[in-house]
Amino acid sequence: MIVLGSTSEIAQAFVEKALQEGERFERIYLFTSNKETTERFARHIDVKFLQQSEIIELDLTKEINYQNFDSVNSSLLFCATGYLGDGTEEGLYDNKNTEKIIDINYSKLVPVINYFAQKFESRRSGTIIGLSSVAGDRGRQSNFIYGSAKAAFTAYLSGLRNYLFEKKVHVLTVKPGFMATKMTEGLPLNPKLTANPKQAAECIYKAFKKQKNVTYVLPIWGVIMMIIRNIPEFIFKKLKL
Amino acid sequence: MKPNFTQKVTNWGNFPIVEKEMRSEDSFKKIKEFVLSHNEVIARGNGRCYGDASLGENIFSSKKLNKFISFDRINGIIECESGVLLSEVLEISVPQGYFLYVTPGTKFISIGGAIASDVHGKNHHSEGCFSEYVTEFKLMTENGDVITCSREHNTDKFWSTIGGMGLTGIILSAKFKLKNIETAYIRQESIKADNLDEIFRLFEESESWTYTVAWIDCLQKGQNIGRSILMRGEHAFRHELAENEAKSPLVLKKKFSPTVPFYFPNFVLNALTVKLFNFLYYKKQSKKEIKNFVDYETFFYPLDFVNDWNKIYGKSGFIQYQMVIPKETGKEGMKRILETIANSGNGSFLAVLKLFGENNTDAYNSFPFEGYTLALDFKVNSKLKQLVDQLDHIVQEFGGRIYLTKDSMSRSSLTDYLKNVNSSKFVSLQHKRILNNK
Repeated sequence: MIVLGSTSEIAQAFVEKALQEGERFERIYLFTSNKETTERFARHIDVKFLQQSEIIELDLTKEINYQNFDSVNSSLLFCATGYLGDGTEEGLYDNKNTEKIIDINYSKLVPVINYFAQKFESRRSGTIIGLSSVAGDRGRQSNFIYGSAKAAFTAYLSGLRNYLFEKKVHVLTVKPGFMATKMTEGLPLNPKLTANPKQAAECIYKAFKKQKNVTYVLPIWGVIMMIIRNIPEFIFKKLKL
Repeated sequence: MKPNFTQKVTNWGNFPIVEKEMRSEDSFKKIKEFVLSHNEVIARGNGRCYGDASLGENIFSSKKLNKFISFDRINGIIECESGVLLSEVLEISVPQGYFLYVTPGTKFISIGGAIASDVHGKNHHSEGCFSEYVTEFKLMTENGDVITCSREHNTDKFWSTIGGMGLTGIILSAKFKLKNIETAYIRQESIKADNLDEIFRLFEESESWTYTVAWIDCLQKGQNIGRSILMRGEHAFRHELAENEAKSPLVLKKKFSPTVPFYFPNFVLNALTVKLFNFLYYKKQSKKEIKNFVDYETFFYPLDFVNDWNKIYGKSGFIQYQMVIPKETGKEGMKRILETIANSGNGSFLAVLKLFGENNTDAYNSFPFEGYTLALDFKVNSKLKQLVDQLDHIVQEFGGRIYLTKDSMSRSSLTDYLKNVNSSKFVSLQHKRILNNK
């Protein structure tokens, strides 16, 4: 199994869920820009499940050396890489912030996934799971840089799914909605609309097994986003969302 | 959206509720930053203590310190971060033939909490407190330094932190020993006792058993006072089990566990329903004595079976009152306590009696000492403070004290027994309350 964004609580919960369900991997490749936190997780799954893993450095804000990935081989890729950035007005006009959001969520990430997609394609098997966001379903004033990058990522995953269908590789797009994770710690989220990483992992694992195409972690988000997508633009632009 | 870390925080009894800053971090660097940039910090695990012990002005939640570090499967020594729950330890240790040496009545407490409270179980008389099996732990001190404490290194911090209610620093990780088991089952005997005399006799007769505990119907008066059921148990050996269980003796079937969906309205729990519950519970066992085998979850954690069971006490919450009274006068003290409760009509849904063995004198902040301990649940209402005061009075008269992990309103003379924990950095609401009420 390949994990991009290994410090993500959703990614870690998914790995645990899969191992709990009895899935075994020759090796789990933990890609991360934060070695310290990932090492803790690597030890954890070794103690808990006797699962071997390997930590591989991946910093999407820097030049990527693909040679480091040569030996990485698996039939499951879980991509939880993401960066919320600063959605405030200052954040919007801060180019560094904007670039970082776009790099990590889309432009630097896509080539990395493509690299592995190619390996999957040549083996004619495998599943790619990508965490996108409900923020990508429609741009809203509160976080539309992040949202636009996620919208692009959603479109990418959808196209990739289409492209890889005949090559027997499946692509699953996950839109988590509000999540109680470190990304959103301290933000005022409605608890009824917020899922924890464990819930998310369970839902994603089910969707993975059923080979679903797109899944919202909490079904209510499917309904909410359908409404939000269908609000006419002349009304939507006046809303404070 | 700017982050706001202030939130409503409360422990298992839903009393008291405070609105304070709570943060959780998983890197030592960030925890250090939090400790250095705040006054009055207190660590909190899974919030399963009852009173105000893990509440403070600035709460550090160990929730993200939830990783295992190592497991020596030959010697049964496990190391994990402090936010790991006992349930998570059991999940990996039981199938390997290991069990916790000491466990309280719930498995949903954190390792950090187990050390800070130095929890005890049904085997205190035979195997002591949790700390007996802790070999070392890492502690973040006032200046953000991380020190390793054990019986050889930083011994003063080691012993003051054990049972020290988080007032010495933040426990980051710990290493502790596990006990060998052959099966996940307990050989159990339940014996009905008609009154206090009988239950005390049964306790003394059962001293050779590893686990003993008694459930008391605390609304009985006169001759029936102390009517109870004693439960004693031993880890079962494989050859003792029925064929079905003996096939895979360390694996339990997954059980359905219901969840209490909302806070029960206040009228649900009243003197009458508590009386009825206690009556039925006692009558449920028709024979004087039952011998059987039960899985470890049923034996150790009967209440964990229902998720969020604290909600049956309604929104006003409940307290748990646990005291210990020295052995010599234990029986008389218990009698007075039970009489007072029965007369107040403020019955306890769950009253648990235990005989503590000798205490470890090194662990000077631990609650247990040799004597009888009783734990009671009381719903919070306007008459409760008065009852607590009456009970405190008796406990004081008999030279007993109160378990800090469950305290939220007892008098300071019964709760002010911690030593070497004075720090201006690590302060809980409980500790402040105790010092202010002196």
